[in-house]
Formats: sequence, structure tokens, C-alpha cells
Amino acid sequence: MLIPPNQIKISIITAPEFNLEYLWWLTILFFVLSVIYFVGVFIIRNKITLNNSRTKDKKVEFSPMINEFLFYEDSNTKEEKMNYLNLKVQIRELIKNNFDRDVLTEVLLDLRKDLSGQSQFVLIELYKDLGLHHDAYKKLGSRKWQVVSSGILELTTMEVDESYGLIIKFINHRQSTIRKQAEIAVVNLKEEGIKYYLDNTKFKIAEWQQLKLLDVLRHKPNYSPPQFGLWLTSTNTHVVLFSLRLIKYYSQNDAEQSIITLLKHKNRDIQAEAIECIKDFHFSNALMTLKLVYSKASHDIKIAILDAIGELGTKAEASFLENLQLTERNFNIKSKVIGTLNKIDPERVLPTKNISTADFYDVEFDDAMQEEEHSIIDNHEGIILHDDIIDVSTEIDNETIATETKKEMSDIFKEDTTYNETEEVMNEEFVNEEKTEFDAELQQNDVKKINSIEDIDLSFLPHIKDEEALEEKPEETEAVDDNDQDQESEEELTFNFLPFVIEEDVFEEVTTSYNDEDFRPLFELDDELLGEVPEETSINPIDNTSTKMAHVFDWSTLDSENEEQNKVVIDTADLAEPLISFENDNLCFAANFMPQEELDAMVMLENISELGDCRELILLYQIIEKNSSEVVIERANELIQKFSYQSPRPNELFSEDNNLAESVFTDIYNLADYETKLMLIGEIKKVGDEKEIDLLESVIQSESKKLVKKATEALEYIKSQLLILDDKTKSTSDEDFILNVGFELESNNSIKYKGTVSNENGSTLFDQLCSMSNSLYRKKDG
Amino acid sequence: MGKNVLLADDDQLLASLLNFRLKKGGYTVHHSVNGKEVKEYLENTMPDIIVSDIMMPYFSGIELIDYVRNELKSNTPIIIISSAGNEQNVLTAFELGANDFITKPVSPTELLVRIAREINK
Repeated sequence: MLIPPNQIKISIITAPEFNLEYLWWLTILFFVLSVIYFVGVFIIRNKITLNNSRTKDKKVEFSPMINEFLFYEDSNTKEEKMNYLNLKVQIRELIKNNFDRDVLTEVLLDLRKDLSGQSQFVLIELYKDLGLHHDAYKKLGSRKWQVVSSGILELTTMEVDESYGLIIKFINHRQSTIRKQAEIAVVNLKEEGIKYYLDNTKFKIAEWQQLKLLDVLRHKPNYSPPQFGLWLTSTNTHVVLFSLRLIKYYSQNDAEQSIITLLKHKNRDIQAEAIECIKDFHFSNALMTLKLVYSKASHDIKIAILDAIGELGTKAEASFLENLQLTERNFNIKSKVIGTLNKIDPERVLPTKNISTADFYDVEFDDAMQEEEHSIIDNHEGIILHDDIIDVSTEIDNETIATETKKEMSDIFKEDTTYNETEEVMNEEFVNEEKTEFDAELQQNDVKKINSIEDIDLSFLPHIKDEEALEEKPEETEAVDDNDQDQESEEELTFNFLPFVIEEDVFEEVTTSYNDEDFRPLFELDDELLGEVPEETSINPIDNTSTKMAHVFDWSTLDSENEEQNKVVIDTADLAEPLISFENDNLCFAANFMPQEELDAMVMLENISELGDCRELILLYQIIEKNSSEVVIERANELIQKFSYQSPRPNELFSEDNNLAESVFTDIYNLADYETKLMLIGEIKKVGDEKEIDLLESVIQSESKKLVKKATEALEYIKSQLLILDDKTKSTSDEDFILNVGFELESNNSIKYKGTVSNENGSTLFDQLCSMSNSLYRKKDG
Repeated sequence: MGKNVLLADDDQLLASLLNFRLKKGGYTVHHSVNGKEVKEYLENTMPDIIVSDIMMPYFSGIELIDYVRNELKSNTPIIIISSAGNEQNVLTAFELGANDFITKPVSPTELLVRIAREINK
């Protein structure tokens, strides 16, 4: 019969022939092994059970004997004494057997744990009397670590002081269990054990071990601890740490300098423990070191230091803490700083979060003030409150006014005891009130008179310090470094381009009676700062003459009596428009605008600041080259500094070899994932131009196959498009070169800064944005 | 005939030792090694004082106090023996009506004094 091909089965694996006889032998072997195993388990189990049973019996046998020994008294009867002696003989016979010895030792060790007092003492004596400690000595010589360890434990439990010399050898044993057991034994057995241990240990002392050692010391009767400060110089940091803890526990405050020095220890635990000691012992001499180590300390240590400063510090530490309050970034530490500040000087820092501003209570405050004043006038004849205030208002400094008025009012109120409550209200209000609020109050209560220029709110002007203020705050002045001074002087000297704004009603009230005294403190500049002011050459737009312009106001020229000279002379005779002038008894302010070109450049720079990145560095350098204005150059330098720290580093980016920065896609591409990269290459293909060529080439060199393929396609496409465009450009340039804007295809080399006004041909996306912004600005400017 | 003391402790060695000391101190001692035995004994006899370990098989010292105070309605003084660091159990024992407690390691002489004090109250 013919088998169809689909039913033919070919065996792929052919099993080797196996002798069945071997299989039987193997089965028998496994069976025998199993039997042996189970018989072995049975025998061992029985042996253990038997042993336990024997031990239990022996314990029951030994128990009354031990009881007799433990509670034997000399006052016992003769029979009891005889019985005691017989038991002693009997027990000595019994312990000749090793098993019995072991059981007896076990019983005594068990009872040692459960008994205290006299019974315990007797038990230990019995152990030694029976010579059971010699067995423990033998254990110390064993090779097995567990046997050695149990021997040490036995000797420690039974307080065999004679074994001290044998056990100290194990202090630096490599086996940690033996070592730790020996450490406890050494400390336990003799009072000087702790000294030996701290002197000799070379190993780490674990936290748990420290606790156990401390527990041993704690329970030693009549223990007089050594001066643990002696071990603060140990080379073993764990010994130092343990010593610090012992110093703290036993309140040994005789190592002040050593503990203060340990604040500078590299180990944080030691630092923390030293701080704890300092706090506990109230070492106020440590404050300087605490402040010194603060800056380099970890967060935990910083908090511990602040805690210690809070405990030990006085108000002298407030300045240090206030500096920390300003500089600390960590929330926990900052909170701790504030807490410490308030601890050494209660309520120095008040709550600031979710507190409504003073404006919120303006209405209520004014009403309350008016009511208060009405009641004063009604009830107190002869007090002309407003006149007093008006007189005071002629003072230069409003804050001084407030203080003095407050004093005067207080004096007045003191005359009448019935106005105590009013006084309190007024005092509080005057202290808390701001200057502007005070002015407003004056306007409400006073006749509408403004006798001097101080009554005009000039707070919008740059801040100019007077000499007195500087003298009053020498620390602040010193704290300002040279750079800040330069900046400040520049601020002070360049404010003249700001337009002055003044309310009309105030403007009308200005009178012409001015004195030198009226102006001096407000406008006087610091001599040092003035000394640093460079003289600047400016071109007079009227007569085109070059003059030197010093940024100094010559206030001596001000004379209120002379109307012709009744102008604020700023020793800038060549300025087209004076900053402040007085005409027809009116104070006139004139705006001094920047030159248009400078303003454009500044606008450009601000746009760059907002939108730009490191790719604008070239442009910024060009702006610096093209502009002579210090303001522009300074701003451009600031931006260069800002963008120089951006990634990729500008040096790499703008090197001759790297043209990747030309492409707007570079940054996004570098940050993108694989899928996004694919999409970006697609986009480059659609909208890209020659600036993307370098990017695509870099992709082809470095990326995966799929990206390389896509990048190659995009590159070829762009190149082909460029060729077409070139041809077209050539042909059109011949015909009509007016339409040639050269917008996208202009090469990098041809990009030149053409001033802020004509920046339409920029090489980057940002250039284009800037050009748009500039055109909008020009349109607005008319 | 001395006062009856029920000694409930599963630790044979310690119980034997305390038993010996109490007998020597003139007390009649009944030793039970677990809660069952204690319960059986208490159903028949009420001792003058009970000295019990807190940790016992079947029937803990706490349960024993509860049983004596709430089921047997007895005011027999109860002294609890507890290990050090077992304060919570001691507090519970006092809440349930224990009269005194003593921590291990035990001083047999001290225990004797406490027993005498409780019986003589």
C-alpha cells in the first residue's frame, strides 16, 4: 500500500538505547539514600529530644540544690547546715561529668538573668566556687568564633574579673561578634575598661554598640567616669563621637576649647554632637566658631548651628542672622533663621505672608483720624493742632516732620491726662504712616499752601543721598562695593532724560521763595561719587559746538531773589533744553530725550534681551562697534554676558568650523526626541534654505540610518531649490534689481549691522522680529 | 499554717527558686505553670495572694487579673512579675486591678516583702 507523502513521519530526534538494569540500580540507590536520610533525621531528632529531656531532668535535679545554696544562712539549724554540706559534696561529684557541668552552668546563667540583689551575688560566687569559669576560659581558645563569643559572654555575665586580661586581646578582633562581645566585657568587668577600650580600639563603634556600652556604664554601681575629654583628640573618629556623647551624658564641661574646635571637624556627626554639647553646656565662646563654620556646613548642621545660636546668642547675632535671612535659599533653613532671630530678639521679624497692605485700611484710618482730631479740638481749648503741623511741614525731611510732630503732639497730650487714649492712637498712626499718607493728611487738614519745593512729590526721581544720610548710615555706605557705586553714580547722572511729571494743582501752588537751604540736602551729591563722574563731550544741536558736560548741579547759582537767575542751573549751558526752569513764578520741567539713533539701539537691545539667545552675540558685538553711546554699549555688554552663559557655548557655536547656529532648527533639533527629529527634518525640507545645509550635513554624519536618509533627501531637495532660485535671481537681477530684497539667501558673511534703523536683512529669526519691532516703533513715532 | 500564695510562672527554674524562698518565708505555695492550671485552681480555691508572671501560655497575667476581678469578683491581692520595658502591660494590669508589680530580674527577698505588705493591708 502506498502511503501518501503527507502522512510520512520522519523522526528528527532518535533516543539512545538505555539499559533498564541501570535504571533499577539507580532507583534502589535513591531509595537507600532516602532511607538513610530519614533514619539520620530521626536519630538526630531523638538525640536532641533525649538531650533536652536529660537537661530538663538535670535542671530539676540541680534546682533545689541551687536554692539551698542561694538561700543558705548562717542562722540555719544544724540539720540544715549538714544538709548544705552534703549538697556541696554531691554537686562537686556531679560536675565531674561534662554534661552535668554544662547543665549546671546553663542553670546558673539562666538564674543570673532572673535574679537580682543578694541572690545574684551568691549565685556568682557559687559559679566561681564550683570552678565553672575555667570552662569559659577554655572556650576563649577555641577556633570557632561562636564558642569564643559564648565564652566571653559567660565570663561577662558571671562577672569574672580575673578574665579581664584574657578578654582585652579580643578588642580588635577581626570577627565583629567577638569584638563587640569583648568590648562590652572589657567595659563591664573593670572600671578602667572604658579607658583601655577608647585608647585601643581601631574599629568603628556602631550606634547600637555605643548604646549598649553606655547602658553598661550606666548600670555600673558606684561608677566614677573618667574625663572623656581626653579622647577628643583620638584619631578614631568613632571614639571622638562616642566620647562627645559620654561627655554630654556625664555633663563634663571641662573640655570647652576641644569641643569648640570639633565644630570644624569634617565629620558631620561629630559636628552635630559638638553643637549639642555646646548648647547643653552653654559655651557662649563658641558663637564665633559657630558663625564661622556655618557657611560650609550641611543643611542639618546649619539648622543645628542656628538652634545653638538661638540658645546662646544675644542681639549682637541679629546682623549675622539678618544677612542669612537674605542669602539663604533653603526654605527650612530660612524659617529656622527667622525663628532664631525672633528667639534672640522677640518679634524682630513680624509676619509678612497674607498680610494686607496699608492701602487696604486707608479709608478706615482716615475716618478714625478725623474723628479723633474733632474730639481733640472739641475737648481741648487753646491747642492749635493744625498750625503746629503746618510749621513742622516746612522741615525738609518728611520723616523728621512726622517724628517731631509726634513729639509735639505727645507733649500737648501729656498736659491733659484725659487724652491718653487719643495719644496712643496718634502715636501708632504716626509711626506706621508713610510719607505720602502724611502729605495727604496735610492737604486735608491744612490750608492749601505749599511753601517749598519739598512739598512736591519728587519720589519718582532717582534717589540722591545727602551727606547727613550717608553719615548716619556708614555701614551701608561701606557695604556698597565699587561697582555698585559706579552704577549708582550712573543712575544719578543719567536721570535727566526722564520726563518730569507733576500734578497741575500742585504746580500752581509753587511759590518763588526759595533758599539755598531748601535745595541743598535734596540734590547734593556724594563727593566721592562726583569725583568719579567722567566728563562727557556732547554736541550742542543748536550751534554744533562741542562742549564738556559735567554731570554736576551747581546749586550755588540758585538764587530765589533774582528772577533771572531763578532757574535751576545745571552747568550745562550747552544743553538745548534745561531740565528744570522757573518761568513766571512757575516751575517748568523739560524732557531731555535720547538721540533717535541711540533710542533705536536701546529698543533693539531690549528686544534682544527679551527674545534673543546666544545667536545674537555677533549682532551685539556689531552694535558695540557701531555705537559710541555708553548706555548702549553697557546694555550690549550686559546682554553679551547674559547670552555667553547659554548653551551651546558661543565660542563653540560661532567658531569658524561651526555654522550650525545659522539654522533656527539647531536648538530644537538638539533637544528633540527621535520622532520629533524626523518631523523637523521634514519641515526643514519644506521651509529650509542654505542655512540648514550645515545642520543637515551634521545629521547625515552622526545620526541613525532613517534620519540620515531623510536628511539626505532634504539636503538634496534644498540644494536643488537653491540652484533654481539662484538662476531666477540672476535673471531677475538683470531685469529688475529693485525687487531683489536678499532676505533669506544672504550669506552669513554678508550680514552686517547696518544700524538699528536698517536691520531688515538680519541673518536670524530674531533679526526679522527686531526689524518688525523697529518698523512698528518708527510708525508710532511718526 | 502560713498564708496561701498562688505562684503562676512558666519559668520552672525561677518558679522553683521563688517557691523555695516563699516556703522558707512561711508561706504555703501553689505553683502553676500555665493559665489553665491557674484557672482550675482558682475555681476551687481562692489564695490569700496571687503572684503571676505577665507572659504565660494559654492565659496571660492580664487575663488572670480580669478573670479574678470581673468573673470571680474577688479582691485578692495580685502582684505581677514583668520584664523590664513592658510598661504598657504593667499599666494595663494596674487598670484591671493589679495591686503591685515587680520587674525581672527579681530579688526574692524584695518579693517576700511586697507579698507581706499586700497581705497585711
